[in-house]
Amino acid sequence: MKEKNVKRTVWISGILVLLCVIAVCVCMFLFLSYIRGFREVTDADSYDKYYVMITKDRKSAFWQSVYQGAYQRGLEENAYVDLLGENLSEDYSREDLMRIAISSGVDGIFVEADEGERITELIDVAVDKGIPVVTLFGDSTHSKRCSFVGVGSYNLGREYGRQVLKIAEEQEKTKEKGEIQVAVLMNAYTMNSGQNIICSGIQDAIEQEKTGETEFSVSYITVDDTNTFAVEESIRDIFMEERLPDVIICLNELNTTCVYQAVVDYNQVGQISILGYYDSDTIINAIDRDVVNATISIDTEQMGGFCVDALTEYYLFGNTSQYFTADVTLIDKSNVAQYLKGGGEGED
Amino acid sequence: MRIDLKKMSLQEKISCIFILANTLIFLVTLLLFTGINSMSREMDMVYEDNMHLNELSDALTAVQDSMTDYLNAKTSDSLEEFYRDEQTYADMVEELNDEIAGTAFLRMERSIRHMSQEYLDVVGQTIEAKRGRNVEKYRVRYENATQMYGYINTYINSLNSERFRNNSENYSKLTNTFRRFEMISILVLAVVIVGNVVVIIRLTGGMIRPLKRLATSANEVAKGNFDTELIPVAAEDEIGIVTKAFNQMVVSIRQYIERLRQSMEIQQSLKEKELMMETHLKDAQLKYLQAQINPHFLFNTLNAGAQLAMMEGADRTYDYVQNVAEFFRYNVKKGNETVTVREEIELVDNYIYILNVRFSGEIHYEKEIDESLLSIQMPGMILQPVVENCVNHGIREMEGKGKIWLKVYQEEDVVCISVRDNGKGISPEKIEKILNGTYREERHVGGSNGIGMDNVIARLKLYSEMDDVMSIYSGGENLGTEFVIYLKRKEQGEPYHVQGHAG
Repeated sequence: MKEKNVKRTVWISGILVLLCVIAVCVCMFLFLSYIRGFREVTDADSYDKYYVMITKDRKSAFWQSVYQGAYQRGLEENAYVDLLGENLSEDYSREDLMRIAISSGVDGIFVEADEGERITELIDVAVDKGIPVVTLFGDSTHSKRCSFVGVGSYNLGREYGRQVLKIAEEQEKTKEKGEIQVAVLMNAYTMNSGQNIICSGIQDAIEQEKTGETEFSVSYITVDDTNTFAVEESIRDIFMEERLPDVIICLNELNTTCVYQAVVDYNQVGQISILGYYDSDTIINAIDRDVVNATISIDTEQMGGFCVDALTEYYLFGNTSQYFTADVTLIDKSNVAQYLKGGGEGED
Repeated sequence: MRIDLKKMSLQEKISCIFILANTLIFLVTLLLFTGINSMSREMDMVYEDNMHLNELSDALTAVQDSMTDYLNAKTSDSLEEFYRDEQTYADMVEELNDEIAGTAFLRMERSIRHMSQEYLDVVGQTIEAKRGRNVEKYRVRYENATQMYGYINTYINSLNSERFRNNSENYSKLTNTFRRFEMISILVLAVVIVGNVVVIIRLTGGMIRPLKRLATSANEVAKGNFDTELIPVAAEDEIGIVTKAFNQMVVSIRQYIERLRQSMEIQQSLKEKELMMETHLKDAQLKYLQAQINPHFLFNTLNAGAQLAMMEGADRTYDYVQNVAEFFRYNVKKGNETVTVREEIELVDNYIYILNVRFSGEIHYEKEIDESLLSIQMPGMILQPVVENCVNHGIREMEGKGKIWLKVYQEEDVVCISVRDNGKGISPEKIEKILNGTYREERHVGGSNGIGMDNVIARLKLYSEMDDVMSIYSGGENLGTEFVIYLKRKEQGEPYHVQGHAG
């Protein structure tokens, strides 16, 4: 019996030893792999193409959404899309970013362009170096860009015009007014042809579809966007004028937000109708609170996706469609609820 | 291990256990050390990327500086330095990632790589232009290069700070993990050591247990208890050997004690027998001396009487006195000796003669004797008392003529002496009592030499060393009695072992 005991002890101790060693080994292995996980950032996937997106205001929800669209589409095509300048310690201008993109050896550039000479030149330099350029939202018609992705500006203008007429009809019922003043906020950089097209769209719509006796005067207010914080200041300047416009049409997200805030601050809610641009949370909430009459929702993700599609096509066939037009939806009091509930259906 | 365990010596066993235990602890410690070592190496590597990037930045600055130097002074020294720096930087750039990876760091690295390559091109062209003294060109290119230098520097710095932030996070995580690993290591080590201790205690306990049992057993034996259980031998180590030897020793001691006890018993019985013999003899002698106050005197007196009778011509008186004298002489001479059957029978003859004279031929005496048995040895003073018993209790109290038959014959190797009378007979109860030695008769003073049957039987038993020394048969009332004495055949000359002590 004693001998058996000893044998059993020997066995048990042997098994114990084995277990200990195995446990320690497993422990160590787990720890080491855990630690390696920190250092070696997952670089598992590599991509065929590298595109960069260059915009003026990359932090706005609008552009973030566009970028997300492009990024998602890019992943499907095994291409990586970067919003250039995001990780950099210095804030570079579009031109600098263009130069960086050109010398970084990217496979394609999406740039929010305008008709400015410097941008056009840089686009040409890029194309000369074999990098296809897609202009985004704003076009540079004289450059060698291979494609333009944007909204149908003229139709957008007409839609704004129709909204102005609608507002005029409502105001007619409540009060007698001789003339309805419509102010279109234009960015100082008029080189953007899109703005002009929108303007003519607005005017055409008002003239052609006008039914009542109401007179309309459309004016263009130039917003200074050359400096970083100039937009807000110049919008506030508008409200210092004696005669305030009845309708303000904004043509970008930042302007919309600024105007909305100014109307609230100057206690002009209900006096001034705002037609906004883009469907950021702030703007949607503003519609819900009846501060902003309507806004335009652009399918930003589709827009981003078009950019990648354009380049994919370009690389596949050597050529691509000159124009891509993203879908535009009007959001007003009637359908704002579904955008509110979705919390950002159209954004992410 | 399993097979050898039994045959290993104690030292080997203990050494094995300790070696095993130490090896285990060593192994575990080694493993833990390896773990800690590789972990600290990992920690060292955390900021490696940052160091690389710093070096890259320095190299880039060196290229830019040496280019500016050359453009400024156009010395061959600065040109040489430029080429060296350019080479260094180009080499470093070569090591950067060139894949379009999902990770921002790596993509930035790729951008730096491409920009640097272009930068180096531009710088090279600038130097060329300077050498070719193309002022316009090298100015423009210098500006280009400087701009790109700025971009690259920004990229490197951004990457560096991003990496640094990330690495710092990793570092704190690593430190935490390291702490945890330390704790676990200590725990594991503690568990292993405790387990080790338990195993060692159990194993050595198993080894020492037989020794303890041995000690207990030895203690018992030392106290004098030899009936302790034998200890089972579990292993063939030193303890096993000692145990075996101890068992052997206990068994031997038990056997020795048994033998000693037996021999002591034998001696005791011998001594007892001797003492009894002596007592009985002394008893007989005492009785005899009481009866015959001075046999020698009596004998001499009788002899004188016989001579007187012869001188007076009284032959029958002479014969009678002679016979009486013989009878007493025998008593004097042979009272305490081994005698032959012949001598005993002669004594009986004398006795019967004396009785017949005394009682005027009333006793008829017949002998039937195997002559070859006459020289058989037997203790003295046996037959005469038996015959006297017959006469006193059998014949004297009966009517008519008393008869006594004496017969000596052999049955197998036992010599039988039969004394038969036709007297009164003895009841079976009495026979039983006589043979048991419990019968006490009231002493007859007249005509007896005083030696009782119990004395006779006791001396016969002592002499022949057997229980069955006498039988008594009686047909019943007035049908006579027969006494049969059984003797072992001992020829004359064979020593009677009591002789020596009795003399």
